[in-house]
Amino acid sequence: MTLEQLMFYGLGAVGIGSGLLVVTRRNPVMSALSLVLNFFCLAGLYLTLNAQFIAVIQIIVYAGAIMVLFLFVIMLLNLRDERALSDRLSARKIIGAGLAFGLLLQVLYILMSAADGFPQKDEALAVSTGTVEVIGVQLFTTFLFPFEITSLLLTAAIVGAVLLAKKKLD
Amino acid sequence: MIPYAPLIVLFPLVGFLLIALAGWKYRSERLIGIVGSGVVGLSFALAVGVLLEMAALPSDARSWSVDLFPWIDTFTGTAGSFGISVGYQFDQLSILMTLIVTGVGFLIHVYSIGYMHGDEGYWRFFAYLNLFIFMMLNLVLANNFLLMFLGWEGVGLCSYLLIGFWYQKTFTGDAGKKAFIVNRIGDFGFLLGMLLIFKTFGTLEFSAVMSGASVMTAGTSVAFWIGMLLFIGATGKSAQIPLFVWLPDAMAGPTPVSALIHAATMVTAGVYMVARCAPLYALSPDALLVVAVIGGVTAVFAATIGLVQNDIKKVLAYSTVSQLGYMFLAMGVAAFSAGIFHVMTHAFFKALLFLGSGAVIHGMHEEQDIQKMGGLKKYMPVTWATFLIGAIAIAGIPPFAGFFSKDEILWYAFSSDLGSPALWLLGALGALMTAFYMFRLVYLTFYGKERFDHHHVHPHEAPKTMTIPLMVLAFLSIVGGFLGVPPALGGGHIIEHWLAPVFAPAQRTLMLSAHASHTAEYILMAVSVLIAVGGIYLARRWYLEHLDVPDSMAAKFAGLYRLLWNKYYVDEAYDAAVVKPIQRLSDAFLWKVFDMKIIDGAVNGSGWLAQTAAQWLRKVQNGVAQSYAVIFVGGILVVVSALLFF
Amino acid sequence: MLTYTDFLLAMPLFSLTVTVLLIIATEAARVGRARFSQFLAITGLLVTSLLAGLNLRESGVAFQGMIATDAASSYLTILLSLAGIVTALVARPYFEHRDAHRGEFYILLLFAIIGMVLMASANDLITLFLGIELMSFCLYVLAGFERTKDKQNESALKYFLLGAFASAFLLYGIALIYGSVGSTNLDAIARAYAGISNQPLFLLGTAMLIVGLGFKVAAVPFHMWAPDVYEGAPTVVTGFMATAGKSAAFAALAIVMIRTFDIGGSTTADVLALLAAASMVLGNVVAIAQTNLKRMLAYSSVAHAGYLLAGVAAGTAEGFAGVFLYLTAYTVTTLGAFAVIGWHERTNDEGTSLDDYVGLSQHQPVIAAVMALYMFSLTGIPPFAGFIGKYYVFMAAVRADLTWLAIVGVLTSAVSAFYYLRVIVMMYFRERDGEHIPLPRIPVMIALGITAALVIVVGVLPSTVLQLFMPAM
Repeated sequence: MTLEQLMFYGLGAVGIGSGLLVVTRRNPVMSALSLVLNFFCLAGLYLTLNAQFIAVIQIIVYAGAIMVLFLFVIMLLNLRDERALSDRLSARKIIGAGLAFGLLLQVLYILMSAADGFPQKDEALAVSTGTVEVIGVQLFTTFLFPFEITSLLLTAAIVGAVLLAKKKLD
Repeated sequence: MIPYAPLIVLFPLVGFLLIALAGWKYRSERLIGIVGSGVVGLSFALAVGVLLEMAALPSDARSWSVDLFPWIDTFTGTAGSFGISVGYQFDQLSILMTLIVTGVGFLIHVYSIGYMHGDEGYWRFFAYLNLFIFMMLNLVLANNFLLMFLGWEGVGLCSYLLIGFWYQKTFTGDAGKKAFIVNRIGDFGFLLGMLLIFKTFGTLEFSAVMSGASVMTAGTSVAFWIGMLLFIGATGKSAQIPLFVWLPDAMAGPTPVSALIHAATMVTAGVYMVARCAPLYALSPDALLVVAVIGGVTAVFAATIGLVQNDIKKVLAYSTVSQLGYMFLAMGVAAFSAGIFHVMTHAFFKALLFLGSGAVIHGMHEEQDIQKMGGLKKYMPVTWATFLIGAIAIAGIPPFAGFFSKDEILWYAFSSDLGSPALWLLGALGALMTAFYMFRLVYLTFYGKERFDHHHVHPHEAPKTMTIPLMVLAFLSIVGGFLGVPPALGGGHIIEHWLAPVFAPAQRTLMLSAHASHTAEYILMAVSVLIAVGGIYLARRWYLEHLDVPDSMAAKFAGLYRLLWNKYYVDEAYDAAVVKPIQRLSDAFLWKVFDMKIIDGAVNGSGWLAQTAAQWLRKVQNGVAQSYAVIFVGGILVVVSALLFF
Repeated sequence: MLTYTDFLLAMPLFSLTVTVLLIIATEAARVGRARFSQFLAITGLLVTSLLAGLNLRESGVAFQGMIATDAASSYLTILLSLAGIVTALVARPYFEHRDAHRGEFYILLLFAIIGMVLMASANDLITLFLGIELMSFCLYVLAGFERTKDKQNESALKYFLLGAFASAFLLYGIALIYGSVGSTNLDAIARAYAGISNQPLFLLGTAMLIVGLGFKVAAVPFHMWAPDVYEGAPTVVTGFMATAGKSAAFAALAIVMIRTFDIGGSTTADVLALLAAASMVLGNVVAIAQTNLKRMLAYSSVAHAGYLLAGVAAGTAEGFAGVFLYLTAYTVTTLGAFAVIGWHERTNDEGTSLDDYVGLSQHQPVIAAVMALYMFSLTGIPPFAGFIGKYYVFMAAVRADLTWLAIVGVLTSAVSAFYYLRVIVMMYFRERDGEHIPLPRIPVMIALGITAALVIVVGVLPSTVLQLFMPAM
């Protein structure tokens, strides 16, 4: 097993584990912290793919900014233990879990059977595309249009957030 | 006149628009009546002009079609069969139907001026009537199935609006809805038939489909199914078994509507459609057999119900269903022109009977129960005389109109290669009952003791605008038959000659042999006259002379009587077999199972749903949205499996 | 390199963006009141449809293949602007009546339309996704526009949760397709399609795309949100998302499935046909049991998604034309119907039940007649717009050898008559005992006039409409 593989399996396992923790913990703070861990694992995986920019962004934006905001909100709202809501094991949960598991199997089966068709990792290409410069150039040439659309999306989000959150509307 | 022929269709539309847009503001009955009737009269006059010019042409030039504008465009790059124009076909058949529609329609418009006098919805009534005439003309003049379907749906729509015209009575609204829904089942057949025609012939133009049909091999299952599906449409519109249930209820509408739509014109649309598609039906003798049997059975079935009804309009309604059965019997034995002939004579005498019944109801202050009438002859002599003429005509006494057309149908049912003595017997049985119940109606209404309350009811004759149309229709009911005097009686049978070129392709495909001898025809003719006289005699004996007989009969055969009185419980059966299960399926199963809100809420704990909205958060967290997500995931599972594993 | 043409082809998008920025600026500076924003929005939408009209005969890709403008996308831009105009017209009386008329409504409305236009003119899966997100985000907020109403909050939250869920699958699908093609550009995918159309990876991506877009169009079994959200959202918003939202999503679906994938006759087409049949049956049958008009129209919109999917499943140019024509018919009709419902609705959310419409024709004959017109059109009775749409998609299905689907469609539309006509029965054939409702205000009357006229025009002259978006035909 090469170091790269070791990294992949290690980060993957921790990532999945922390992901499971996110949905199973009853304490919202625990969930949020598990999510931070999950983000870190993802960032690590990006790094193994030579995608430094994404890895850094992942940590700065998600793990840093967004999750901190999450935690603030959770603590400000002072949510109690949510045991009351999650204790019951309803038919819906069982069916839902069953279906989700079925879907997982399906997707795994398809991915396994299609493994041969995957493009092979091209080291040189990966090194040359993961950097900040390349992404920056792409973002302002080929993907300029989507980039600008994203700004519209954010503006709309701000308007929406203000509308929903403003204390008193005139 | 011929270049202006499409205007025939346009006039009623103009009338409709004028009345609909301005009528509710300027509620002048006089003006509305004149405009409403005038436009139909104009159409009639123009149609007469076109007919005269058409008659002057050689017989192979009497058919032409006019495309006004493209309705649905063709796609370039694909076979150019998608497109359909708004276009009208003028030929011997369609012009004859146009004359019936506009002619009888005009008379009924005039009658309505008097009948609807003082009604709050006067303008609305005339707007609907004009719209109806417009749609009906589209139906009969269309040169393709799609435009015909437009008319087909349009007349259904108008019929629906007019049945429910007096919405103050709850019943009329329900009757309207029933009419519409039952007709939708028929339309479903029509639409599927259209799809199958499109798939088979690649077009919906009559001329192309019919010429395609003339080169097809006969007896294929496609031809059978096209015939069957179209016939399902016809059973809906023309009230045949099993879709006849709406027509008797439709009598809830104003009487002129019953006369125009539910007797003279719209209900014959199915017959017209079968005649129009004669080349298609000729390809499948099996389909024709089904048509004949359904027609014959309906003729008898509806007549038996008519025997015991007491509502004057209900009797006429079942009589209409029965007479339509005759027309389909004619179609089924490939006697197309005889069927159309009966459409025409029936339009005269049935419109007459309905308008007469309207005059009676009018004079009796909205009383419809014939058990509460009697002896009206002296109060309304014109109505009596004309009604009697109508009854004689429908009973089939020569030389009134009904005799010739009905007798011709019976003759073909017996003698045609597609006919059989059994079909003749059905027809003859129906004829006996028709004569009986019609004269039962006449005797109970106009003769005998006056059974109404003299203090409250003062019978009176109808105004002129109502009696003049009655007289015109009575005249037509007397002489209308002379257009179709058979050769056996030394006549030229003008109608058959006139229509022969239209049905020639169908007859060629069918290759029917020549008819049997004149002797047989004379014998059958005599038999049918005897039957009619017998029916009348029986009615006279029971309902004028020995009044106790009907009651003792009803007591003796109580079960049968109840069965007939309740119309064989068909409505109840449909309700139990079709309506209820669908409602239950929708309400109990699909909605409640699939709509998880109900599962999570109302059903499992009705208090849950009623909780104050302040707890919406809990609702979202604890219930609904997750359930939706579960279904969602199930859906993904299905889509992925279907796409990758099948 | 960007050239002059790039900007020319994207003119409608620019005019929408400029309008929305103007409104934001005036709102922020408190220059005008919400009414001024409405005026700006309507003007901007009119200009946009004019610009899109000028683009009807242009075609080409712009911005490095990110968007493609052609007759179909320009036509849809006009249709979406029309939906926006009608919504804006109806919104003011509706919200003023409820004391909730605010300029933000128009900002979000226009942002949503930008997203929709992007969906209709996307030439890259990334643009498509961004368009969907922009539209969805605005619709989530609009669904809960009146913050103080719990019903709307619930509607918005449900829509948001499930919408985010669906978006995740959509994005996953895009990633898988990118993985198997190596590009997100639709032209590149179209070129590669023949070679990879049977690869499991690509098919999985297709399945996820169908799931994601199936949610947006509310096709069974991804329709669960629609009844709740439609019922809970403000009626003007419901009308907008039921028509414009569905139109944009179907445009995207048609562009991807028919133009890019060329699915005619493939398993993908069969899957879509399956969803179509399920939507028609379930939508129509369940609609029968509804007593709330908004909820009934929600299930009816599920059924209409089924008819539209039939056109997509046909996978031919005819199916494409059928979908666009059907969208036109459905949009004008449903917008009108919701405008009537919005007018009839009382401030306390009452007045949307079927029973409330009893005898409407006696008090407001004109409105009742217009509503009857919409109902007839939705039933698919000629010569109204709805019939033409059905005719096209069913004929396209028949010619694509999906006759069974056309039969299901015809059968279920016969069933649909039952509940549409019930509205007419209520309005016309029953005595009025409820309160008297005054005539709608002028803007609503204009909106009703526009939609009612279009219902008839599209029904009588569909060829003219068809030529707008299919110039080659």
